[in-house]
Amino acid sequence: MNYEINMHTNDIVVIRLFGELDHHEAERIRTDISRTILQGNLQTIIWNLERLNFMDSSGIGLILGRMREMTAVNGHTIILNPSNTMKKIFQFSGLGNFMFEGTEEEAILSARGIVNG
Amino acid sequence: MDNEMTLSFLAISENESLARMAVTSFVAQLDPTIDELSEFKTIVSEAVSNAIIHGYDEDGKGVVTIHAVREGDVISVAVKDQGKGIFDVQKAREPLFTSKAEMERSGMGFTIMESFADDLQVESEPNIGTIVTFSKKFYSVRMPQIS
Repeated sequence: MNYEINMHTNDIVVIRLFGELDHHEAERIRTDISRTILQGNLQTIIWNLERLNFMDSSGIGLILGRMREMTAVNGHTIILNPSNTMKKIFQFSGLGNFMFEGTEEEAILSARGIVNG
Repeated sequence: MDNEMTLSFLAISENESLARMAVTSFVAQLDPTIDELSEFKTIVSEAVSNAIIHGYDEDGKGVVTIHAVREGDVISVAVKDQGKGIFDVQKAREPLFTSKAEMERSGMGFTIMESFADDLQVESEPNIGTIVTFSKKFYSVRMPQIS
């Protein structure tokens, strides 16, 4: 699998995941993602799953792990474009409320609202 | 029985995708919908990851075996390891329970498997191994035949 990280100003990061996310891939990418997001004054992580073809519970571990790293700054998490199966997995795991209907731009605007509002 | 498949591989995490690919091909003859297929792949991925991570501690030596059977539109699968076993199966099946929190295991594997499978059994004996068996019926909306 692959991923892209884009910082928007210093406080919002968009992470786009591609391909299949399982335990093997999560272990491979998490330290790298973690290192990147710990730089700057990160307040919000937007996970764009539009191009992610598969995700099992490792995705929950990856997202929860990054949420934990942001607890000190009271960070926000937004999950975009999950598939139907991923939606169910997020709901079972108590992450249903973090899913957002809309585009990346709308998610960024919404995050700005939360952060600055 | 309409079809049967057995696949064995070493307890290396790369093989999680191998397992998903093999079972995807095995169920292809049922023309599954995208949602049916991804739920099915998720169950297999969780069971195989458990065998590799928890059964064998990713030792690269233990063998995981998947046995799949198709009868009509029902697929039954057994994922078997001869690893360290689960000491308390009931506890392991509880949502959010994990023995490897430091690895960011969410403890949701069994909950997800139970939700996506029609039925799921876990048999385990310490130091003997674990077998997870489940079945799933495919309703696959089929296109009408054009004659």
